[in-house]
Amino acid sequence: MKGIRSAALTAIAALALATGVGACGSSSDDDGGGSSTAASTTGGGGAGASLRGERVRLWIMNNGPDPVGDTERIVRPFEDRTGVDVDVELVGWDVQFDRIRNAAASGEGPDVTQAGTTQVPFFAALGGFDDLSDKVESIGGEAAYAPGIWGTSQVVGQEGTWGIPWFTEARTVYYRRDVLEKAGVDPRTAFQDWDSFRATLQAIKDRVPEIGGQRIEPFGMPGKKAFDLVHNVMPFVWGAGGAELNDDATRSAINTPEAQQGVEFFADLVADGLADRSMLERDGTQVENQFKGGRLGVWIGGVWVLPSAARKDDDNWVDAARRNVAVAPMPKGPSGEAFTFVGGSNLMLFKNSEHKEAAWALIEYLSQDRVQSEYADLMGMFPSRLAAQEARGEQSPQQGAFFEAIQAGRSYAAIPQWGQIENAYKTRFGTILDMAAGQGGDYSPEAVRKQLDDAAAEADNLLAQSAG
Amino acid sequence: MSSTRTSPVSPPAGGPQDPVAPAATPPRARRGRLGRAWRRDRFAWALIAPAVVVMVLIHLIPTAGGVLLSFRDVNTFTFARLFGAPWAGLENYRAILFDADNPIHSGVFNAAGNTLVYTVATVAGTLVGGMALALLLNRDFPGQKVVRTLMLTPWVVPSFVVAVLWQFMWQSDVGIVNKILVDYTGLLDERPVWLLGGNSMWAIVIPSIWRGIPLAMLIFLAALQSVPKELHEAAALDGAGAIRRFRSITLPLLRPLIAVQLLFGTIYAAYQFTIPWVMLGSNPGNDADLMMTLIVRQSFSNNLFGIGAAASSLLTIVMLVWVAAWWLAFRRDMEADR
Repeated sequence: MKGIRSAALTAIAALALATGVGACGSSSDDDGGGSSTAASTTGGGGAGASLRGERVRLWIMNNGPDPVGDTERIVRPFEDRTGVDVDVELVGWDVQFDRIRNAAASGEGPDVTQAGTTQVPFFAALGGFDDLSDKVESIGGEAAYAPGIWGTSQVVGQEGTWGIPWFTEARTVYYRRDVLEKAGVDPRTAFQDWDSFRATLQAIKDRVPEIGGQRIEPFGMPGKKAFDLVHNVMPFVWGAGGAELNDDATRSAINTPEAQQGVEFFADLVADGLADRSMLERDGTQVENQFKGGRLGVWIGGVWVLPSAARKDDDNWVDAARRNVAVAPMPKGPSGEAFTFVGGSNLMLFKNSEHKEAAWALIEYLSQDRVQSEYADLMGMFPSRLAAQEARGEQSPQQGAFFEAIQAGRSYAAIPQWGQIENAYKTRFGTILDMAAGQGGDYSPEAVRKQLDDAAAEADNLLAQSAG
Repeated sequence: MSSTRTSPVSPPAGGPQDPVAPAATPPRARRGRLGRAWRRDRFAWALIAPAVVVMVLIHLIPTAGGVLLSFRDVNTFTFARLFGAPWAGLENYRAILFDADNPIHSGVFNAAGNTLVYTVATVAGTLVGGMALALLLNRDFPGQKVVRTLMLTPWVVPSFVVAVLWQFMWQSDVGIVNKILVDYTGLLDERPVWLLGGNSMWAIVIPSIWRGIPLAMLIFLAALQSVPKELHEAAALDGAGAIRRFRSITLPLLRPLIAVQLLFGTIYAAYQFTIPWVMLGSNPGNDADLMMTLIVRQSFSNNLFGIGAAASSLLTIVMLVWVAAWWLAFRRDMEADR
């Protein structure tokens, strides 16, 4: 019997250890992979000898295939000319929200950081960053950027410019030319408006069960696992004439009839079997790879996917998909307008930086048109500055489609609480899509309404936060 | 959980003398004894001192900080002040427990219900499965050692990897689970969807059991091997069948081990985070959101560290109640031989 008791004690020790080593992890479900580019012709570290020997720490996120190497390559001419040493540090998208927030709150951080465009208002509200308003003239100010993009550097109801747009991403419709051809649909009219968008998917479902032995699903989008679920749904809400918040950003508008119409259009695609429900079990990257892998006829994706088709080292692409990929503008909704979500990243200057002059010189340099174009090309993103965007748009009709999408692009209300409201919406959108897939409750207009009411209630609660 | 409790009133016959003196001892003598005890235990104290310091630094102080935060209104606008955020009194607790208009109230209750289901299912599955496997592997058969070693592999797989692997296995279209259930064996006609809706609870419970079983098996197996064979032989001679022998001999002897695993298994499961977070994302949805995923989401994603800390404190209180109930139920099993 003694044996059992000592075994019990040993077990306690073993279990205590096992309990200790389990889970941990951090996280924020905010905004992951954003992107964006900006800039044009100005300044760029003309400060000269006085900056020599200064060291600027720059935090970047994982942009493109070789984030640190690419960025170091881009800043080398700046270092050579000014003598400033730029220390590029990678902070992953999975932890950047926490790291930047903590750096801003504690005052212990780098000099300059990249931040997702939708995060800028929150970081600005934290108080750890410089207002750049009196500096932006040297890079052309507001006029050098598309309005939707410049808006991401501002905070609603507050004076100030808190971030300089660095690079831009937008989403649009991707399709396979061979799939549309086999379905007998003209690509020029296939995605004009919601009706033709649906009809195109229906035609693919009816006429193109497979191509070359590979099964084809008309459409597929990720569900609650995608960090950017809200970016995928909101263009349809906007297209229906709805909005995320009311005009002065004081109350949620996600449960208005227009917003509901937009959400239902998206979810109906799942409920009606036009969107593959198993894609809802995957995250954004996995679904992207399903499109590259040839399983989806139509998909809505980011600007960086198009250039990847030309990269032989991206072996997620199957030949048929690689050869036939094409893009089209987002479909017009009942409001008569088409919208796309425009996001990306801005550069923010920490208040506690001891090398502000050198740090601003670096931001100026990164805001030159030429530098922006080069960096955006390396990452497969769009530059943020108008002139650089125009140049990119002229490269090909496909890039032109993205250029147009960006000019008509829209982002969210620039308020500090947006990230949390986005989380609340994401939760409910995820549940609605689950229901549309026949899981976790019956899908009906009433059920959608209930979820959107809950989302609005949670958002209103978050909007009511104050500094006490 | 010491097994050597002694009583100054009636020392057990033949037991060691109590090193701490009974109350009647004169003060000077007591000091002398304490001094002796200190001199004797000095080395032991020196050895555990670093661990005590570390525990205070990384465990006790942060815990106290967490409790303090639960009384503060930490939000998007006050985050930067953290411990200097406005005092909220019991407001965070009230919002969670009683404010029906606050979405966090229903969220926490939903997550608490899910956590209860997850914990009961995981612990029961782990213990029953571990016991069954231990009984099977306790028999002599060729290759027994190899099988036993192989059975341990799930335990050495980190939770993160378990979640990633199972996430692929559960995928309704190409996952191996549905391939087996539908394509290969035809057990089901329709492909179940595991990672959405109601089934997502099972999608996290089953991998958790899968990962937990090996340790339970190992512990039970060690105990089974120390059960004297004669007991079983004698009972068999008296006509007891296998089930009767299991109920009357094996189970009572394993009771302390079941108790220990019940305690730690429950605590571990109630604090589960990695598997749902990795497999289902930052918000696992109504059907599989657990207390820890909710707390992490509200704190780190939504900046509501006060609410998160209050929910953590409530969870801790529930676990303390559980430990107390457990102690009342099983203290005799943990004490000296009777």
